[in-house]
Amino acid sequence: MTDIDLAEPFPELRELRRAVLQQDWPAIAGQFEGLTDPDDHEYAARVVADVKGAEEFLGRAAQREPGPLARTLYSARLVAAGWEARTALRAQYVNRAQFAAFHDHLRRAERVLIEVTAEDPANSTAWAQRIKTNRGLELGQNEARRRYDRLSRHVPHVYNAQAGMVQQFCPKWGGSVEKVHAFGLECLRSGPEGSLAALAIVEAHFEIAFHLEEGARTVYWRRTDVREEIEEAANRSVRHPAFRSGGYRAVTAHSHFALAYTLLGDRAAARPHFDAAGDHGAGVFWGYFFFDERSGYRSARAKAAKA
Amino acid sequence: MTIQRSEVDGVPALFVEHAGPMIAGLTFRVGQADETLAGRGITHLAEHLVLHGHGLTDYHYNGSTGAIVTTFHMQGGEEDIVAFLNGVCAALQALPLDRLETERQVLRAEENGRRGGAAEALALWRYGARTYGLPAYDELGLPRITRDDLQRWVQTWFTRQNAALWVAGERIPAALKLVLPEGVRRPVPAPSSALRGTPAYFVGEGTHVAYDGIVRRGRAASAFAGVLERELYRGLRQEDGNSYNVAASYDPRGDGQATIAAFADSVPDRHDAVLGGFIDVLAKMRAGRIEAADLDAVKAQAEDAMRGPMVEVARLPGQAADLLVGAALESLDEIRAELRALTVADLHPVALEMLGTGLLQTPRGRDAEWAGFEPAPLWSERPIEGQRFRSRQDGKISVVVGPHGVGLDQEGRPPVAIPFDQCAVALAFPDGGRQLIGFDSLTIRLEPTVFPVPPQVLAQVDAALAPVTVPQPPRDPGQIPTGKPLPKAARPAGDRTGLLVGGVIALVLSVVALCCSGLWSWVVADNSDPANDVPLDATTLGINIVGYALAVGLAVVGVVLLRRRNRK
Repeated sequence: MTDIDLAEPFPELRELRRAVLQQDWPAIAGQFEGLTDPDDHEYAARVVADVKGAEEFLGRAAQREPGPLARTLYSARLVAAGWEARTALRAQYVNRAQFAAFHDHLRRAERVLIEVTAEDPANSTAWAQRIKTNRGLELGQNEARRRYDRLSRHVPHVYNAQAGMVQQFCPKWGGSVEKVHAFGLECLRSGPEGSLAALAIVEAHFEIAFHLEEGARTVYWRRTDVREEIEEAANRSVRHPAFRSGGYRAVTAHSHFALAYTLLGDRAAARPHFDAAGDHGAGVFWGYFFFDERSGYRSARAKAAKA
Repeated sequence: MTIQRSEVDGVPALFVEHAGPMIAGLTFRVGQADETLAGRGITHLAEHLVLHGHGLTDYHYNGSTGAIVTTFHMQGGEEDIVAFLNGVCAALQALPLDRLETERQVLRAEENGRRGGAAEALALWRYGARTYGLPAYDELGLPRITRDDLQRWVQTWFTRQNAALWVAGERIPAALKLVLPEGVRRPVPAPSSALRGTPAYFVGEGTHVAYDGIVRRGRAASAFAGVLERELYRGLRQEDGNSYNVAASYDPRGDGQATIAAFADSVPDRHDAVLGGFIDVLAKMRAGRIEAADLDAVKAQAEDAMRGPMVEVARLPGQAADLLVGAALESLDEIRAELRALTVADLHPVALEMLGTGLLQTPRGRDAEWAGFEPAPLWSERPIEGQRFRSRQDGKISVVVGPHGVGLDQEGRPPVAIPFDQCAVALAFPDGGRQLIGFDSLTIRLEPTVFPVPPQVLAQVDAALAPVTVPQPPRDPGQIPTGKPLPKAARPAGDRTGLLVGGVIALVLSVVALCCSGLWSWVVADNSDPANDVPLDATTLGINIVGYALAVGLAVVGVVLLRRRNRK
């Protein structure tokens, strides 16, 4: 069974989701108390944010609870709900009502997030959301960078903030191929050894390749500089002894390298990453290059096992 | 060396002992905020006429017209000061009205060199074309102001009861004779508003961000402005590197309230991030995260500014203005004591007050609804009812002229309305063009070359607006609209759904017509059942020809629509 459910690999996150569904605030707050790693915290917030309909309960909690957590989770849910309203379609296919609902959700989230990051400027989960609202509300490339820099001053190299910047710097959101590639390299080279910062260059390559025609795409993955950067990224992250293999984002990282090596045509190199990601590696980027995320992942994994 | 209070000829006086050349001034409680837009410039014009009698001397004298006070001041020997101030009073009693035309020209020339600052746009949007919004406007009333208007203005405002004298020197000169007309002390105007709610924003034309808010006047508010400036400097310039110039200021309005204004420019192409950084600084203030070190620095700066021999002298004009608006006059010792007692806890309420009343000017192309600001009104709440005249240039625009006002109707947009009793000024050009500005600052250009308004209707408008009409010099012919239709705006790319839908419908109908015609042909041709046979005659043939023609026609229309859709 191949899944793309963020909570599935981690029992405590399944527990967290149950607490959201049962509207059990103390249990939610208790789960987050133990999450000291910024990437784990952001990942867990994403699990909460993906619970459809949770905005009502979280909105009440945000009104009532004094700390920033309830407001952060509430706005994260609003952002997710906004993106659900927009659907995953590209901008020209989104109709006016969907756009209005999308923007309305993001504005409501942004207003809460402005408050939260003003009170708690080191709240990396809230800043990561603000990078996402910035994109959806089209507040600008420099403004996105400012938000990222503000966050980085307090908490450098938050995976999802970097992933958000990769998106922002893509041509589809007003950036360019050069910009997104440069940002990927910046993260790769400035991030600490064994961190998730190396994933930004991998995602940049996914984005650049995705927007190429079929033939150009094949040529792209044959380029030695692309291969070298993927290698460097793997060496600095998943293959490095300091890599946190127990972190929630470890699955994301292995899924990325499984896909990258598959696209590079190096199934043997992909295999350990398929093994590490197991049944949970069919992330969103698989959908870029295969008709279906799950079946694409499954068949690539099966071929890698034979390689 | 403290400020001492006394009285000269019934005029309250403030005196400071001072060893250098004597400095003195006469301040009146009148300024631009007391004017109307149709009379805008009258105070400045009166000031110029009064000073005209004083030819060039070796000494420095001047006049200044502000929002709520007008001052005549001079530095020099005691005799010169006496001659100057006595002369100002004499000129106020008998204005040199023969100089009116010349001074009018001088002021219009001065006006041309004037450029509005960032604060002026905020005042215009906040207050509209009245009270504290008036300083933001040009001296539009100049061509209209008559000798009688000036006489009345001077007699109303430049009176003994509405004046204050201030002197820095060895003594108040005994020879001073302040002969002024009798009148009353005039309170400052109650502020008007062009906003429907706050916090509000409007989109500026530049790349900078400007902001202001209204707070209770006081030491905490002035210190907060200093703290805000430091926060903006650190955040936007030092840390983000997106701004070069940042500033914040504190200005008492005269009615117990004060304006805190802030400004940040943008290094090229970074204005999106300047706006974001600015909003985050405001949010930090709202959260009460006010740095104690900033307040300490502001306090130290303020204390430094209160040292030195000229401090009391420099305070005199402001103290005279305070005296005229009925504000408490504070000694430097009182100010120092208040300043020392200030804590960051005193500043947070000021921040909240400022934010609650805030008005933000965003850089061009950027809104601020995402940050919780509502758009400042660009439209009126109700339309004007009356006769409509469609624009010759753009069929979607009409002016509406009714018995109670003039309106603008733009298809798909809310109305703009200027009721006659809400019209601040009507600028009348010799070519027949009229520009109306409402109290809320909304503008309507009534151009007879564009809108076919008959002369008798225009005459009705002119009659209704006569009290606020200001005749204008002829316009450059290039500025007069020609009334020729504007080139059709290109349809925005992407909005081609209509073509797609139309094309598909036409093609479907074409197929339907083809099927029906085919069926009809078969019915006519089929002779298998003589009982129900349809004969081939002119009618049945005609029906068939029309049917096929319809099918072909619809097919062509459909293809044309779809092809046009694909055109870039």
